[in-house]
Amino acid sequence: MDLTIRVAGEAGQGVATIGRLLVQTFGRMGLEVLATRSYMSRIRGGLNWTDIRIAEEPVFGPARQADVLVALTDLAKEILGPELKTGGLLLYNGPANAGCISIDLEATAKQTSGDALYANTVAAGAVLALLGYDSKPLEALLEAQFAKKGAQVISANAACARKGAELVAGQSAGPAAPRPGHGPKEVYDGATAIALSAAVSGVKFATAYPMTPSTPTFTWLAGAAEQYGMVVEQAEDEIAAVNMVCGATYAGVPAMTMTSGGGFALMVEGLSLAGMMELPVFIVLGQRPGPATGLPTRTAQQDLLFCLHGGHGEFPRAVFAPGTVRQCYDLTRRSLETAHQYQTPVLLLTDQFLQDMEQSLDRLDPTPRPIDRHILRDPAPGYLRYALTESGVSPRAIPGGPAFVVCDSDEHGCDGHIAEDLDSHIEQQNKRMRKLDGLRADALGPELYGGQEAETLLVAWGSTYGPAREAVDLLRGSGGSVALLHFSQVWPLRAEALKPVLSRPRRVVCVEANQTGQFATLLRSVGALGEGELLTNYSGLPFSGVEIAERMAR
Amino acid sequence: MKLAPADTRPAWCPGCGNHALLRTFEEAVDAAGIDRHRLVLVSGIGQAAKLPHYTKANVFNGLHGRALPAATAIKLANHELEVVITSGDGDMYGEGGNHFIHAMRRNVGLKAFVHNNQVYGLTKGQASPTSDWKMVTKVQPQGVLSLPLNPLALAIVQGCSFVARSFTGVRSHLREMMVAALRHRGGFALLDILQPCPSFNRQNTFEWYRQRVKPVNASHDPSERSAALELAFTWGEEIPIGIYYRCLRPSFEAQLSVLKDGPLAAG
Repeated sequence: MDLTIRVAGEAGQGVATIGRLLVQTFGRMGLEVLATRSYMSRIRGGLNWTDIRIAEEPVFGPARQADVLVALTDLAKEILGPELKTGGLLLYNGPANAGCISIDLEATAKQTSGDALYANTVAAGAVLALLGYDSKPLEALLEAQFAKKGAQVISANAACARKGAELVAGQSAGPAAPRPGHGPKEVYDGATAIALSAAVSGVKFATAYPMTPSTPTFTWLAGAAEQYGMVVEQAEDEIAAVNMVCGATYAGVPAMTMTSGGGFALMVEGLSLAGMMELPVFIVLGQRPGPATGLPTRTAQQDLLFCLHGGHGEFPRAVFAPGTVRQCYDLTRRSLETAHQYQTPVLLLTDQFLQDMEQSLDRLDPTPRPIDRHILRDPAPGYLRYALTESGVSPRAIPGGPAFVVCDSDEHGCDGHIAEDLDSHIEQQNKRMRKLDGLRADALGPELYGGQEAETLLVAWGSTYGPAREAVDLLRGSGGSVALLHFSQVWPLRAEALKPVLSRPRRVVCVEANQTGQFATLLRSVGALGEGELLTNYSGLPFSGVEIAERMAR
Repeated sequence: MKLAPADTRPAWCPGCGNHALLRTFEEAVDAAGIDRHRLVLVSGIGQAAKLPHYTKANVFNGLHGRALPAATAIKLANHELEVVITSGDGDMYGEGGNHFIHAMRRNVGLKAFVHNNQVYGLTKGQASPTSDWKMVTKVQPQGVLSLPLNPLALAIVQGCSFVARSFTGVRSHLREMMVAALRHRGGFALLDILQPCPSFNRQNTFEWYRQRVKPVNASHDPSERSAALELAFTWGEEIPIGIYYRCLRPSFEAQLSVLKDGPLAAG
């Protein structure tokens, strides 16, 4: 059983705050939570909403329709009211109105606590009561959240939460609500899971030029800089950011930057530099729809081939694409480990949907556990930074020790100095590209959800995991024979291992948030996929499981 | 094809100011008592950017125009390193212009030595950001229409903590300026080094500079911003060389509490 609450209103009105209160409360109650954010590129006005889906069993993607709509404005009521499920409830912020439960949230907050600011708490209290939940967990959350602000703020908030509940008491019963199935869980969004994992893994230098949807990761790192001993610096542009990461990794510290497609476009020369200098550069690319500035606050999976091919010349790289918030945490560490093991750039490909998506999880461990930087501690006299090796990985010393560390963006000899000698070029180019063999051998294989024998196979990558997985459940529930093959690492691919799954005679459908089927193109280019259908969504909003299932059934 | 071993001997033209510059640099590093193993030379692309290959030090020879962001992060990752940038007028003031402005704002303890020959050498003779107005080149056949950038005035206005100019033709002065920049402890130091390009700049020749450069008057007080600006705007019949400006402000790294316990790179 699951249920979705949609909180909608203008930017700056508290949509995100109400959402956060409810999400945290539900997590503390022991419900499974998944929340997604939809917002416009503006600071005031417009129409933003947060969808909070709660359930007894884990949920992986957003629902298409809401069971409860909290409309903070008339516009929210007009546009999103008709999208409510049949029998759903509409809580309207305003005067009595047919078909709605009406509360003037600001006036209620003012009357109850003397401050209209607590309108958000009134709304959260009312929602909990409508679903038949006690307001105690919300009050406990408020107490923890406002501990530093003192008893008066806490009691004013608690009074507002109770008042919200009181005002909806006696309303007709809302939709049947899920019952908490376990103890409290924490709720994290993708952006935070990435940042926390980076800090835990020993990132000591982070830099970015702010760009939606990657900014929350950068903000979290800045807030944790003292705690984890990191330098977090805002760069003058993305070119500076990536070159700073090159400098920091040369000097020996794990470092990262984060951006979106437009910023990454500015970074690609630096990415190529990391490939040439063999630096463990880590970049988080949170996608949004392009071309150009595109739809800055929406979601897409349009930069797969770009991040695979971005950067002049040929050099090895790995690209990870998490499908869940937990994978954001795990694959950030794996990205950093891979970058350091192979001394080459690694990308983590997310998008607005996943960056902003919140999921209830067991607590993610915040204890520092630095990755192995693979640094040679005592380089011998005559140390060569780019010594030829079978794996292509040369022992890595850092400046400040007994050996001179010479790195060049020009082609170089084993000693790192400029070499225009063509034999050296071939030796070094082959050495660099040998690392791709190791990267490929270590690559994560895809996850198969559903049976080996399924007659229809959905193929998805990155953030489309949740919706595609839920589509499999829906289709199987109605008698279909469907499975999902999900890739959380999209490069390099082990084509031979994929062929048995992908070449079995059956319907294969690539589900992607882009127009041209970029992952399908990639699979074909390595010979892993023959024919195959595309099921695409480039609307700017994420897939839902229901949407995929309906389009598959057509 | 086996062409030549790694390029560790100067490939500059005879008469290039870089030869004297390199010799002076070696002397200055020794005079400043810098441990070569703690020295990192960071450069971009151009003739100046090749200097790190011709000496003993750690080297980060990165992308055109991008020496400053790389150097910034190297210094922040390990602030016990001495980080010196060897760059040219195109690399620093053209391709890297945005980084130049922001490096001065940040005031990370970097030493930027800019070999300023007012022309592009490696690409064979196009105008640089500091080329004189109306200088004729193959790409600017009607002469350069834009006014030259004034890097020293810009640096002074931006509050750069150390601003100086020298000339490769007066090596004792150049050495003195380099040592002063290397010993500067207040953050970012800019040393603009006038340098003739005998192959591509027939206008601003060795003789042209030699007749014009004149040491800054001993009475000049480098903490006086307006007097420093006067010097920066003096260009033509007379070109002052020396320390134009110095101001006391905390370096970026001195303001970072996370660096108090030692370099981040120590792990």
